[in-house]
Amino acid sequence: MTPEAMTPEAMTAKAAMSDPLPASARRSHTPPESPLEAEGRRLGFLMALPTQLLLVFIVVFPLLMQLYISLTAWTPLYGQNWTQAWQSWNWFENYAEVMQDGRFWSALWRTFLVIIVCVPAQFLLGLGLAILFVENFPGKRVFYSVLLTPMMVVPAVAGYMFFMLFQSGGPINGILSDLTGLNVTTAWLSDPSLALAAVMIADIWQWTPLMFLILLAGLIGVPEDQLKAATLLGASWWQRFRTIMLPRIRTVIVIALVIRTVEIFKIFDNLYIMTGGGPGVSTETISVYIYKVTLQNLEWSYVATVALIILVSLSVVTAFGLKLMDRR
Amino acid sequence: MASITLSGLTKTFGTFTAVKSLDLHIADKEFLALLGPSGCGKSTTMNIIAGMEQPSAGTVRFDDRDMLNVPMGRRGVGFVFQNYAIFTHMSVYDNIAYGLRMRGLPKAEIDARVRQVAELLGLTPFLKQKSAGLSVNILQRLAIGRSAAVNPQIFLLDEPLSNVDAAFRAVMRTELKHLQREFGQTMIYVTHDQLEAMTMADRIAVMDRGVLQQVGSPIEVYNNPVNTFVARFLGSPSMNLLPARLGTEDGRPVVEVTGLGRVAAPASARGSADVLFGIRPEDLTITATDLPGAFVMEVVFVERVGPRTIVHLARDGQELKAIEGNGFPVAIGDRLGVVAKPESVRLFDAATGQALDKEPADG
Amino acid sequence: MPTRLPLQLLRYALVLGAVAITLIPTLWMASMAFKPIPEWTASGAALRWWPENPTLDNFRFIFGGSTSELLVSLDRTAWRPILASLLASTFGTLLAMVCGTAAAYAVSRFRAGGNLPLSLIQLRIFPPMAVLIPVMIMWTFLDLTDTWYGLALIYGIVTLPFAFWLMKTFFDEMPREIEEAALVEGCSRLRVFLKITFPMMLAPFASSALFVFILNWSDYLIALLLTTKDWVTIPVYMASLSSSMTGQLYGAKAALGLIAALPPVILGIAIQRYLVRGLTFGALKQ
Repeated sequence: MTPEAMTPEAMTAKAAMSDPLPASARRSHTPPESPLEAEGRRLGFLMALPTQLLLVFIVVFPLLMQLYISLTAWTPLYGQNWTQAWQSWNWFENYAEVMQDGRFWSALWRTFLVIIVCVPAQFLLGLGLAILFVENFPGKRVFYSVLLTPMMVVPAVAGYMFFMLFQSGGPINGILSDLTGLNVTTAWLSDPSLALAAVMIADIWQWTPLMFLILLAGLIGVPEDQLKAATLLGASWWQRFRTIMLPRIRTVIVIALVIRTVEIFKIFDNLYIMTGGGPGVSTETISVYIYKVTLQNLEWSYVATVALIILVSLSVVTAFGLKLMDRR
Repeated sequence: MASITLSGLTKTFGTFTAVKSLDLHIADKEFLALLGPSGCGKSTTMNIIAGMEQPSAGTVRFDDRDMLNVPMGRRGVGFVFQNYAIFTHMSVYDNIAYGLRMRGLPKAEIDARVRQVAELLGLTPFLKQKSAGLSVNILQRLAIGRSAAVNPQIFLLDEPLSNVDAAFRAVMRTELKHLQREFGQTMIYVTHDQLEAMTMADRIAVMDRGVLQQVGSPIEVYNNPVNTFVARFLGSPSMNLLPARLGTEDGRPVVEVTGLGRVAAPASARGSADVLFGIRPEDLTITATDLPGAFVMEVVFVERVGPRTIVHLARDGQELKAIEGNGFPVAIGDRLGVVAKPESVRLFDAATGQALDKEPADG
Repeated sequence: MPTRLPLQLLRYALVLGAVAITLIPTLWMASMAFKPIPEWTASGAALRWWPENPTLDNFRFIFGGSTSELLVSLDRTAWRPILASLLASTFGTLLAMVCGTAAAYAVSRFRAGGNLPLSLIQLRIFPPMAVLIPVMIMWTFLDLTDTWYGLALIYGIVTLPFAFWLMKTFFDEMPREIEEAALVEGCSRLRVFLKITFPMMLAPFASSALFVFILNWSDYLIALLLTTKDWVTIPVYMASLSSSMTGQLYGAKAALGLIAALPPVILGIAIQRYLVRGLTFGALKQ
């Protein structure tokens, strides 16, 4: 969160600077604010106030607390209140420690790995499905509704579904046995080299529908006349797809990719239910890492440091990204 | 370059018949306007010719080739959409080059052709521009140029002027006619605007409810409408149609226009029947009330539209519109005589609406 | 453009394949929910897609605490977690919708709030895990840990961005002439909002609320952090269902999972046409 966003006063002050006239005032010919506009400004301030306060409550205060704790060696282990944390002040020792924390960096790398595999997979599958659904065909509405259901399933429940499916005596091995004629008893979730793949499959199952939904909305929005015009000019289906459809849904594609990247970065529910981050640390992503270090090791000042580093990095990245999008 | 022959063309959507056994021949290099109100089947006809839709029955031939199994991309048809369907994410150049690139022509050849078309259409200064945000007359030329670049045998234009504001239409009409001469292709122009059809086309085909009503040169269709639909659809204000009775007087056919009086009927009219008396507003002359044979009527409204004065006249529930010149001295409430030019009187069967002195429609 | 028959068949083959893959996990869980204990872990040749002896025992167990079949008895039944999920999700949704709607109107009409829209997107981007420690400390300090209202409060905040952005796009689309007419008649701004604008927005408001409810109902992580015993929600309770004697209580968990999964799927299908808008913060309206 940018510093200016932190207090409602600062926000209104900034709003007043960048936009001295409310929309309705533009047409008015009297320079000073009319009573109606003043009323609008007051009401606008009051109506936005609860949300502003909640933002301060959940962002500003926790961030400051987090910053403070991260500069100490405080832990709740000995019953010491967090306000007493200054007694173990250690400046940037936690930060130095994070830089050398192999488990943290591999959790971060693993998170990126899941993103690198799942986002393109979900995109390609979703796009393929969306292409099938552009034209009308009998049963389209029903199939469409069915294909959307995975993303509505509670992620923790989806995690449990795949936990069952991937049991060594479970149906996935059952299907594989039928297909291969062998007795497949792979222990997917307790094999460190397969557990992450299982988690990825579960995520792809659950979130391909989101890509499908968004990309289909984009494809349907491509003007039909332009596609017909291209056909009349001799373009094949593939040429139409490449020269008309893809360029027209570029923004939609970017939105879909960004949404999934952001969400997978936070991946926790389905993964934690399936593997608990294990076996060992083989499926430990950044959220699981933080959760475990918090509740198991109780090194809260250290966790605060990790969390803060992630928040600051994300802020920089998203502020940059949002600015880029704004310019478009 | 090609002629187009449609025979027995029929298109049904479920129980709705959009086009009903349409027979029409369009000669090579002809400019034909397909005219009719919305829903009359003209756009469906056009889509079938382009291959965007398959007919339920009938054939489409270009010269002697049956086109029904030729996919839309290979028919050699240039299509200008109502909204132009410009690829707004591409530059003007890329739009014109599109069809050529899809054919995989060499770069140099594409470039030469694009420049040639752009020059012809006056698009050269815009070649590098993004096509989004160009003004409508440039978009129209671009839409034509994009189709023309691949040298289609046939040009189809789907109401290309309906999104243009009225002030600009006249300019665009002239430009379009000019372009058609320039390219020399067979052109079908779909429109619901009779003025567009009249001013541009070599021939007009009038459609209503899926049925072709009349085909002919603009003057022919205007002067000799085959039925009351065509009579009403062409001309603004449209032809006056009044209930009347055809009879004979002294061995000559006369029409008794209900409540107004008697006029001589066209020589071709025979017998006695209930008819509709049709006369174009410009074929009425306002005279003194005591002129023999004049209908005596009261002026109920006067529209002064620049060069013309449209006089609305009424008597006993019968209404007529007459056109006079600019500044014609008339006021509401005046009692006047109205005389119809005998040679301009058209009679229609009161029950069927068909012209009594109908000449067979060609095409 | 008519599609040729072989392509049409290929389309059906692919779509039906996707439908099968979509349905298998859910159907397996549904089937498991009705399987008696011996079939829970049947594998190899004994693996069955449908329960051979369908039973409601799993449901009796999670709602009654014990059945004759199971050697274990539960120290608490599923009633309380269901209540917890309902209360926290409902009131969280209410909080998000009330604050979000008000703020959306303020931003849409009066351009109030400055950076608020983007700040809310950033709030959504941040992993909840990254403010975990301060939130846990704050909730303990405020005595909100392990209460349904403490959970509702954080749910309301976490889903605020969705409520705000959905309602903002709806307000942006609403023609202003109606409001301006009322203003000319001398209505106060607040009255115009309460008596004219909001009633017109009831349908979008209800759809947005259902969307937000689904999100809240789907939470696992936050409840895992902020509830411990009395007010654990369905997913947390489900994850805890296992016993040292029998190990995983597959059937019981599946029964509970089925109960947890049904409401969002039904609601989600009901508000299908708003899903794209909701999931993309109104960037796409379909």
